[in-house]
Amino acid sequence: MVFTFHIPATRMNRSLGPPGPKRKRPESSSQSDSLTEQERILYEVIRSKQDMGIWTRDMKRETNLQDSVVNKSLKVLVAKNLIKEVVNIKNKGKKFYMAAEFQPSKEITGGAWYAEGQLDTALISFLKDFSAKQIQKQRVLTLDVISDLIRRSGVLKVDLAEQQIKDILRALVLDDEIIEVLSTGTGEFASFPVGKVCYKCTSKGARGGEPKTGAFSSVPCGVCPRILLCTPEGVISPKTCVYYNKWLEF
Amino acid sequence: MVSQHGIKFAVHIITKHFGNLVAKVCECLLRRGALTLQNIVRYTELTPTQVKNSLLVLIQHNCVQAFILEEPGGFGDTLRLITQYVVLFDNILHRLRFSKFLALVSLHFDKPCLDLLEGLLQHGRLSLQQMFDRARETEGSNVTLSTVQENLHKLVTARYVERCPIPEPVLEPPSENDVAARKRAAKSKIIVEAETLEQRVVAASFPSDTLRFSVAVNPELNIDCATEHAGEKRKFDALESDIDGGATTEKIILWRANCEEFVRQLRNKACIENVRARLDDDAATVFSAMVEASGSEEKKIKVVNSAPLSVNAIYEEVIKSEKGRNMTFNHVRASLVQLSSQPRFVRVADETYSIDFKNIVELAQNDEVESVVLKRYGRTAYKIFRLLSKDGRLVETDKDLSTPLTQDRVMKISDSIFVEKKESANMLYKLWQDGYLLMERLVAGATQFLLWKVDKQKVWWHFLDEMFHGALNLSLRVAYEIDQRDEILKLREGASKEKRDRLVKVRMLMESSLMKLDDAIMLFHDF
Ligand code: SF4
Repeated sequence: MVFTFHIPATRMNRSLGPPGPKRKRPESSSQSDSLTEQERILYEVIRSKQDMGIWTRDMKRETNLQDSVVNKSLKVLVAKNLIKEVVNIKNKGKKFYMAAEFQPSKEITGGAWYAEGQLDTALISFLKDFSAKQIQKQRVLTLDVISDLIRRSGVLKVDLAEQQIKDILRALVLDDEIIEVLSTGTGEFASFPVGKVCYKCTSKGARGGEPKTGAFSSVPCGVCPRILLCTPEGVISPKTCVYYNKWLEF
Repeated sequence: MVSQHGIKFAVHIITKHFGNLVAKVCECLLRRGALTLQNIVRYTELTPTQVKNSLLVLIQHNCVQAFILEEPGGFGDTLRLITQYVVLFDNILHRLRFSKFLALVSLHFDKPCLDLLEGLLQHGRLSLQQMFDRARETEGSNVTLSTVQENLHKLVTARYVERCPIPEPVLEPPSENDVAARKRAAKSKIIVEAETLEQRVVAASFPSDTLRFSVAVNPELNIDCATEHAGEKRKFDALESDIDGGATTEKIILWRANCEEFVRQLRNKACIENVRARLDDDAATVFSAMVEASGSEEKKIKVVNSAPLSVNAIYEEVIKSEKGRNMTFNHVRASLVQLSSQPRFVRVADETYSIDFKNIVELAQNDEVESVVLKRYGRTAYKIFRLLSKDGRLVETDKDLSTPLTQDRVMKISDSIFVEKKESANMLYKLWQDGYLLMERLVAGATQFLLWKVDKQKVWWHFLDEMFHGALNLSLRVAYEIDQRDEILKLREGASKEKRDRLVKVRMLMESSLMKLDDAIMLFHDF
């Protein structure tokens, strides 16, 4: 099975790295030795915040150092690879720094699905597509099997947490691409124990991926944003309705 | 209780069919509930004769039912008998469905039967003699009374036609138990589907199933005279029963179409099509055989599930149909497995199978609402709405699905379903404003939580009201387009063929859309 999908390595690391900080001491203890007193104070404050990082304004407050000193020191620390700038999902305008040895926490990144402060839509849609196709092909699948298939496909170099695959499946359920069912142990569920949570495709697949259009949503009023304001004799009325004019244009 | 746009739509139908006066009386009853003649006169400010004539029309077309309410009198234990009139909302809506009813009958009956039914639908109620006269008008003088009678019997046996109900059934005042139950329900804030007055009157107006579909006209059978009416004369009497004893002189049996049976058939048809759309033709064949086989057992429309059937009984029915003839026993078994796994159409218990009507109808309702949410508000809204209305689509066990979700939780979930937080927050508010979600504020100490949920009963009610609104608009617009056409044709004798063709197309599209929308209305209102 060949998948021609490439996720840039940098994004991969961010969105797929195992949760929690990677505690590898910086190779450069010598580098931190060569710091000035002020740079050392700043570095310690930043490091003490671990995977939460710290906002530049807060650094200034906590270290009592002058703006210019802080700015200069930050440059030095970044140059020495001791700290890094990170994007905080909650406030993309604020500059945040973190010691290089930590991976940004969920609060900072927005969770496993965020990369550099952005929802990693490329990765998500790839995984959704992949999972949906597998389920379509095999009719009924369980979470374990899907995880396994993703792992064995070899397209992702990092393992996904179980929760992440659940997220993907849930998104597919909410999109009405698949449904979650309990195995009955017979028929198409024969290979799964009774009561096991399984996923199977909805008939929507056969309709070309769009949910069935209802009767009400096929007429202008069903999809009308102004329906609550519309009255027979009012300013917005069926007689003068522009949506109808458009609908009846043929 | 009927929602605001339901009332408006019903009044619109009555205005279109019977004019403003009748519609005024009808609206008065729709808005105020059951009333006496005097009160209708008071509220509508019409003359008593106008009101009486309007009521006669409405009764003739089965849109109003008279009844007598026993009320304790002023002094002592004497009961006062008061004639009141209640409007039958469902029957007003059925007026739109006559073409559907006729189409159903045309599948199994010949032209004379169809004509007979058409006459009943057109005139509301007819006696055998009247039907005979009509038949002679359309088919010529060689039609005999006995052939008309035969056709009538066929339709009555199929339950498509029934005897008219008792003109003025007597209704006892609600018992203390009922009152207590209603109070309890009101306290617990649960909308229980308590029997409405309309339903009680309708129930009281039918003597019994056997009599309702009895074709015997032999007086020796000693049929309860209550089922025999004296045609027009008797009805006038009913209206004046306060004044005159209402003695009947001649007894004529009146007949009418049995809308209940038609709606039941339409429900079956809708369920079969739903199965076909979600599964396949074979499953639909087996399912429709089940519908057939349990048909004679089940006569109500709103049922949870059908009577249980054995595989053998189902198989027997399957091979009766043309499509099922080449299905093997194993084939049928496989389809039954398919039908009984999720989304479930059929329940299995002890090797027997019964149709899960409730679930099928609910699935179809969900589709209808979700389709509107998707097309009106977009994909984010669609996901949020589905998330909140889950109803068993997700078999998560860690949460009680019936409880509302806090804003926080919705955000967390919407996060994991890959919707930007801000977008989902905006969408929650939008959906709430438009009546598609409920929001509750929960204050715990200094913090305030927002709770969100899809309260099916309330949201579905709102949705149905919107559909009535949509149907009304569609119908108004059809009328407007027809007016326009008449104008154009009047203005220019030789209006271009193109223009005329367009108007034909417009009308066809709108009318077929209205019929489809009405299918959806039935899904929520009748099934
Ligand atoms: S008639 Fe037009 S404005 Fe009124 S609800 Fe329908 S689509 Fe909206």
